[in-house]
Amino acid sequence: MDQPTVLDVRNLSVDFETEIGIVNAVSDVSFSLKKGETLAIVGESGSGKTTTINAVLGLLTGNGRVTSGNILFQGKNLAGLPEKEYRKIRGAHLGLVPQDPMSNLNPVLTIGDQVGEALLVHDRATKANVADKVVSILEMAGLGSSSTRLKQYPHQFSGGMRQRVLIGIGLACNPEVLIADEPTSALDVTVQKQILDHLATLTTERGTAMILITHDLGLAAERSEKIIVMRNGRIVEQGQSAEILNNPQHEYTKRLVSAAPSIASTRYDTRSPQVGKARPTEHTKILTVERLEKTYQVRDSNTRRKRRFHAVNDVSFEIEQGKTLAIVGESGSGKSTIARLILRLEEPDSGTISFRGRNMATIRGRELKELRSHMQPVFQDPYSSLNPMASIGELIEEPLKVHGIGNKQTRKRTAVDLLGQVSLDESLYDRFISELSGGQRQRIAIARGLALEPELMICDEPVSALDVIVQAQILELLKRLQSERKLSYLFISHDLAVVRMVAHEVLVMQQGTVIERAHAAQLFENPQEEYTKKLLASIPGREILAG
Amino acid sequence: MTNTMSLRTMAKMKSVSPSARTWRRFFKGPIGWVSVATVVGIVLLGVFGPLFVTYPGSYGSAPPLAPPSVEYWFGTDSLGRSVFDQVVWGTRTSLIVVLAAGTVATLLGAVIGIASAYSRHIDAFFAVIIDVMLALPVLPLMIVVTALLGSSLTTMVLVLGFFSWPEIARIIRSNALTIVHQPYVEGARAIGASPVRIMWKEVLPMVSPLLIVNALLTGSRAVIGEAGLSFLGLGDPNTWSWGKILYEAQRDAVMVVAWWQTLFPSLLILLLVLSATTIGVRYNDSRMQKFTGV
Repeated sequence: MDQPTVLDVRNLSVDFETEIGIVNAVSDVSFSLKKGETLAIVGESGSGKTTTINAVLGLLTGNGRVTSGNILFQGKNLAGLPEKEYRKIRGAHLGLVPQDPMSNLNPVLTIGDQVGEALLVHDRATKANVADKVVSILEMAGLGSSSTRLKQYPHQFSGGMRQRVLIGIGLACNPEVLIADEPTSALDVTVQKQILDHLATLTTERGTAMILITHDLGLAAERSEKIIVMRNGRIVEQGQSAEILNNPQHEYTKRLVSAAPSIASTRYDTRSPQVGKARPTEHTKILTVERLEKTYQVRDSNTRRKRRFHAVNDVSFEIEQGKTLAIVGESGSGKSTIARLILRLEEPDSGTISFRGRNMATIRGRELKELRSHMQPVFQDPYSSLNPMASIGELIEEPLKVHGIGNKQTRKRTAVDLLGQVSLDESLYDRFISELSGGQRQRIAIARGLALEPELMICDEPVSALDVIVQAQILELLKRLQSERKLSYLFISHDLAVVRMVAHEVLVMQQGTVIERAHAAQLFENPQEEYTKKLLASIPGREILAG
Repeated sequence: MTNTMSLRTMAKMKSVSPSARTWRRFFKGPIGWVSVATVVGIVLLGVFGPLFVTYPGSYGSAPPLAPPSVEYWFGTDSLGRSVFDQVVWGTRTSLIVVLAAGTVATLLGAVIGIASAYSRHIDAFFAVIIDVMLALPVLPLMIVVTALLGSSLTTMVLVLGFFSWPEIARIIRSNALTIVHQPYVEGARAIGASPVRIMWKEVLPMVSPLLIVNALLTGSRAVIGEAGLSFLGLGDPNTWSWGKILYEAQRDAVMVVAWWQTLFPSLLILLLVLSATTIGVRYNDSRMQKFTGV
């Protein structure tokens, strides 16, 4: 049973030389990996997990260097190895599956060329037999009819298929260690499950050791034997997966475990129906959407012919006052389009959106502006959804200014008050968002949304760009504001675990149509539709927690 | 290690405002200082120089075509006028032309560029005009237009400004196009902000650094444009400018003999263009406005 150690990292420290001095990104990291073992490195963004593996792969950017420690790969120290030597090891013995399948394939080279390149540079194939080998690699990676795929380009592939190609490239030379850096975080849950299942099968078959970098503790626990939890460039805890999950020792790990949505949401199972019952049944419908339709004209990528694409197809729902309706679906299901239609950032083809007694779908001008003040958006990416050139005070006051409410002093008072409500310090008033973290920025976005005291907030993936602990805090904030202000939310998310924590009612969408609609507890306990069941089964970490 | 700091202290360090960081980078090393000092020097010369130097009239009292000496720093021309005096007064005129033409071009370019990026209808209209104007041979056209309108300072400003905006508009448009699709612009629409407000408050600040850079580059091109037109005799006949000094040297056929009459104005043109361009490029390199992450 005792397998030989393939990779042994000891006391690794990495420094980056920046304009403001030397920054220590990774310090004193040690771990070892045995043949065939899977190790997960978990941590929030900036915790040094990617820097660690970049150091192992010798891929640190120009200003970074390993200052101390050893990287022993099969007994050979890789730290400080010259680039020429490293090239022989990278790809051949250390494989990499990068994070974003959309940007990690060269768009102007065929798939065959790109997979073949990995083989050719390591002399694992000759020009004569490279095509055959690539076909077998693609088949291994789970891409059918591979011989025709050779001549295709990345844009003809979906995200999941591209990730399979990248896995193929990573495993092409049969490396001893495969490093997968968030291999599925850009993919839909159902695809994520398929890809990870496939990756697990392949590495087991070949006895490849794997390092899985992820921010999702549930996923890490499900897919690996050992877990390393990193924070601020240090290992805070490492051990067997089950041990970490069930009996975390370090304070940070405890917080991480309790915040992980896939894990935390199970605790709400019992709670949410009670919440539903405890409340008096009010039927003040705040928003009623009926038979909403939106089509786009698109050009088919294969036939080059124009056709209508139904983004939103006959969607109806209503939101009650003080309640949260969540729309769940994978990318392309039309959920964000619905948010954009309701906000009138796009014009619906047909259907009605009744809000405050008027049809939001058809009004314009002054009337639309007035109605918009009662409905505020919170967007996904707090880095791009706030004007980076405006101060925080200006950002929060902007809605008030646009609607001509109050004067300079009252607006400032409101802004300072709102900062307090979203648990931020009022000294931030004159600062810029470039100084804030993602979670703080999202709080600013929420404060800005609250400025006009709306009745409805349209939250389009409000937490999916945030780290888990921050995610939990923002969800908590949204819930608190809901109970304080009787706010209604339209909550759009791809993450069922997150939805479970906030939603009263859930709408499951697929390809523009509503598949299932039910109360949250009911949906998660007893899903009716096949697709919903599949989505639920794809939440990582489910089985571990059930057991 | 004493100068090693943790990520936490780095986060604190980062609270320097973006503009402070830009200027710190800008003035790191001599190039930034030298180019700014040059431009400031030329501007000071143009603003205050004429207070101390008499206006070179139609005839000078000095010996004609005297080489540079202690008395006449830049030598004299064929009519016995001090070239130094001409250069000082010329600096003022050239700067006025450049500033005014640069402002006209930048304003037009910014307004049209941002509006084109924001509205598809406006874009459809101006895209054609910009393409046509960029395809036209500018210098011959400027000559024709100036000749038709009659040469004066105002004509010069308008001609230079009007033929320079398309480049700015095109660059600003492509930059603004990436910004109008940012979620925060949609957010502004969703709170009910008007298109004018969005263009002014959300888009303009984001393109303004590029606008500054391009205003400087357009300014330097205007220096050359002004000199070119004046050299061809299309400048204001009643005022001195750098181009006019060159024009007179050429007209009096002394370009070969009196090197000082061409060298000094040319040197100033070179210095101004070079330092304005350097400032623009260096400013652009110094600021790294990033949307995401660290």
